[in-house]
Amino acid sequence: MYKNKHSIFLILILGLIFHKYYCKEQTYIHNQAKPPRFHVAEFNFDHVSDVYAITLWILLGSLAKVGFHLSHRLTEKFPESCLLIILGLIVGGLLYITHLAEQKAYVLNSDTFFLFLLPPIILEAGYFMPNRPFFDNLGTILLLAIVNTLFNTICIGLTLWGFSFTPLYGGTQFGMLPCFVFAALISAVDPVAVLATFTEIHVNDMLYIVVFGESLLNDAVSVVLYRMFDSFAKIGQENLIPLDLILGFLSFFVVSLGGVLIGIIFGVVACFTTKFTEHTPVLEPLIILVYAYLAYLTSEMVSVSGILAITFCGMVMKQYVSFNISKKSDATTEYVLKMLSSIMETIIFMFMGLSTVSDHHSWNTGFVLITLLACLVFRVIGIAIFANLANCWRLLELTRIDMLIMSYGGLRGAIAFALALILDETKIPRKKEFVTATIAVVFFTVFLQGITIGPLVKCLNVRRKQIEEPTMSAKLTNRMMDHVMTCLEEISGSGGSNSLRDKCRNLDRNYFKRWLLRETPQEKMDIKLLQTFKKINMQSAMKVHDTSKGLVPTPSSTTIHTSPSGANLRPSSTFANFSQLLAANLPEQTVPDLMFFESQGTEHYHDDAQMHHFLDTNLYRARPRATIHVRSKDEMADTNNETNNRFEKSYHHRNHIYIPPRLDKEQLHGRKTGRSSSGTNRLTGAKAASSTQADHDSRSSKHSLIPSYKRESFKSTNSPKQRQQQQKSKSRSKSPPLSSDQPIKSLSETKDIDQPIPPVSIVIENEDDTVKMDGATAAERICPWRRSSLPDGEKLTSTSSIDDPSNTSHTFSNTNDPNLHSGPLTSANFSGAYNKSAEYMGEFATITKPEEYVSRPHVRDLFNNQFRTSDEKQENNSETASNESVTRL
Amino acid sequence: MGSNASIMLQQDDLQNICQQTGFAVKQVQRLYSRFKTLDKRDCGYLTRENLLCIPEVNINPLGERLIDVIMEDYGENNQINFKQFIFLLAKFRRAKFKSSITEYNTRDSKLRFLFDMYDRNHDMKIDRNELLEVLKMMVGGNIHDDQIATIADHTINELDTDGDKSITFEEFCKTLERIDADDKMSMKFLS
Repeated sequence: MYKNKHSIFLILILGLIFHKYYCKEQTYIHNQAKPPRFHVAEFNFDHVSDVYAITLWILLGSLAKVGFHLSHRLTEKFPESCLLIILGLIVGGLLYITHLAEQKAYVLNSDTFFLFLLPPIILEAGYFMPNRPFFDNLGTILLLAIVNTLFNTICIGLTLWGFSFTPLYGGTQFGMLPCFVFAALISAVDPVAVLATFTEIHVNDMLYIVVFGESLLNDAVSVVLYRMFDSFAKIGQENLIPLDLILGFLSFFVVSLGGVLIGIIFGVVACFTTKFTEHTPVLEPLIILVYAYLAYLTSEMVSVSGILAITFCGMVMKQYVSFNISKKSDATTEYVLKMLSSIMETIIFMFMGLSTVSDHHSWNTGFVLITLLACLVFRVIGIAIFANLANCWRLLELTRIDMLIMSYGGLRGAIAFALALILDETKIPRKKEFVTATIAVVFFTVFLQGITIGPLVKCLNVRRKQIEEPTMSAKLTNRMMDHVMTCLEEISGSGGSNSLRDKCRNLDRNYFKRWLLRETPQEKMDIKLLQTFKKINMQSAMKVHDTSKGLVPTPSSTTIHTSPSGANLRPSSTFANFSQLLAANLPEQTVPDLMFFESQGTEHYHDDAQMHHFLDTNLYRARPRATIHVRSKDEMADTNNETNNRFEKSYHHRNHIYIPPRLDKEQLHGRKTGRSSSGTNRLTGAKAASSTQADHDSRSSKHSLIPSYKRESFKSTNSPKQRQQQQKSKSRSKSPPLSSDQPIKSLSETKDIDQPIPPVSIVIENEDDTVKMDGATAAERICPWRRSSLPDGEKLTSTSSIDDPSNTSHTFSNTNDPNLHSGPLTSANFSGAYNKSAEYMGEFATITKPEEYVSRPHVRDLFNNQFRTSDEKQENNSETASNESVTRL
Repeated sequence: MGSNASIMLQQDDLQNICQQTGFAVKQVQRLYSRFKTLDKRDCGYLTRENLLCIPEVNINPLGERLIDVIMEDYGENNQINFKQFIFLLAKFRRAKFKSSITEYNTRDSKLRFLFDMYDRNHDMKIDRNELLEVLKMMVGGNIHDDQIATIADHTINELDTDGDKSITFEEFCKTLERIDADDKMSMKFLS
């Protein structure tokens, strides 16, 4: 592993060296060449050098990250940031020794840092900011970010300046203002470092947000303080007047509020823009990113806090944009943000290591030690003071342990370093010492504290973040708690955070949502609740979908699972298929409750089978594949059985006409599966299918509500028949339909099977044997007898449960009627695929007709007559139909 | 106003209440003044209408249900007097330390209150209809009944372990284990 990694790095570096040297040589030769000749190929590194170098750095960073994560042991012990810094140190050392590139080329450039590296990280942090904990703890965060940072700066500055009168610094003099400049940059907790460390240790939300929020929001303070002291240093200590201090104080408000305002404005504009992007969804992620970046650049331009701007821009956007943009854009945005921030973070830490190896250092042991000590001590003191202060109004007190982690999590990072780098050496003569001290502090916090904070959190038993799947009940109860507490706060007259939040929410719903969303939410509607529900459903659907991929229903599941699944599945009637359902963004559309299937406890066989069928009926629209499978199944039914099963099932469900002859068809493509259980599947699938048809045909829905016990009884009575038929049709499927086979079949069938099955089985056999039929004519043909047969079926339901199969089968065939069936697939869709063997159909029609004659009981004379006529019609039509389809295709 | 109200409150009662509920005297006095403000007719008890007059409660989707619970479980005859009122609120007092937990503001009693928000027929079970009612209030909008029913079924299935299609208090508590309901169901009473 290690060798691998290092070899990768070595190759990269060698590549770089090679390019450099080769490039130089080339230019040399060019200059020497006497008359210029045409070059077949040219090597022109200069042309791409800058971008090439950047790309290589990014590649190195990503490869390093990939490499680290290959070794689990390494990342467990050390935070990624440490490893990256070490890598940077190694590479920097190599470059330094070999003198390959000028140092300027790889030392962290503060312009690059502030303009390119930092914004994506902060945007990601803002976009994925957990709003609820953030606003719940806003008071504490603000107190810590503003007052604590101020306190730290002043204390550290004074301490450093005070110690300059002692011999500790080795006789070097430090002015007061430079000390304060340095204190301003070193006292701010770094969001990048905090993010990198805290995402790995998974502390609870409250603790995380307090530390991280502080590190984000203290930017305003540190920017102001830094700029103030910097300009003071330029003005000169003796020229300062009190007005400067007042102006500095004022500028704090300008910088912080200005940043927030710019962020919110750009966020709102971005939301407003996405209101109109429904026809150009590809651009949606870009719009979001560009607006956020613009917010950052604008605020940098007017020298207010860019970090605040982009944070708030992200937070505002997240609230509304995700309602506007499409699901895909949403996912893309999130992914791109994560990707960008991750790579930027990697590069930042790598460059920290790289920049350390340089000549711009001046080690002053006393100064570095005092700085380190001051940083640590005042961090602890500050947190102790202000956390206790915050506890006065906090509902949830910060415990001692919380405070310890908070002060321990006060990591310094690249921002401080970048700020130290842009110090003006003419005004602040001790710049080199400051840079060195900054690096020392950063390394100390990132390495020592970063590595130990994980074990410390474990050791102190800090409440961890619970990573759990959202549950509907939890969400519901949470909302209820919010509502109840809001009411109670109002009743008791003690306006707390709950009622404040409620007011904000009302404001948001009444004004912002109305202006910024494509669809204005309905009055009093709880979108979040519905969203959660949809999300949960999606997850469970995906999970079931994944797990049921290779699912083979077991033979043990002979009984039909009886449950209120009909009621659960009914809402799916609003959707023609699953993709439409997934696309449903609107809160008023809901999704079928898939969780139901999971929650059925131990009897997973039934549920899985049910779910499988449900998903199959809803999920697949794969017309061409289904036909392909049907066509090819005879050749490769055995080889590719599982996938075949899968697709064929879906295929059958789409065409409800194929459901009735389940007994026949079962072993055709389900040979390996348990027979009886797949029978169950078929039925349940049919049930689901029929329930989806509820809108279209009231009759069919009536049938779908047949009590399941009847089906069970039917099931049991059917099993012997099933086997017989299975054997029969197996033989048939292997050897294409022989007329000699048919009489036997009809005989055996007439003994066992009730009347109505044969007619349907004809249709199926036709299909199986790849009969050619034109869609329209087929429908015409099929309609008459089906319609007429339906009343019989209904009658039968009431009379005897034995006749149920016929009944149900008729129902389903009825649903296939093109006039009623709005589903994407009908037999017509498949007709084109079967046009190879036109004569089969005629053959079958004639052969199977005797069946009907023999097995016809008295009661159904009417029906039989009708069927016969329709059959004859089929016969007549078959050839013309086939001709038609051939010509058409 | 505050000083007037505290005069009306008997000193003995005050001590008594403070002892039982763990409220500070000032908090009780403040709540009493609040009670008086709500009690516009000055008759010593609050009615449903009094509470509904609070605009935030009025527009809250669960406001009416909450008032139902308050009136039926804590008051009598659709009225609630100050003592009942303060015992109701005592449930939501934040217990800073273990020692300040009284019989009222235990985690259990808070959860019980939540449970009662659903369970209006007091059979210690949330059945489908009860859940549906609450969901309709909370989700609002003109969502189809079918969809709400789906959500309700889903929720019941999530929680229901014994398969009786209803949620018992134990099942209810189990799912809330991971939510710090105790913290969320607490509020700061100004003193």
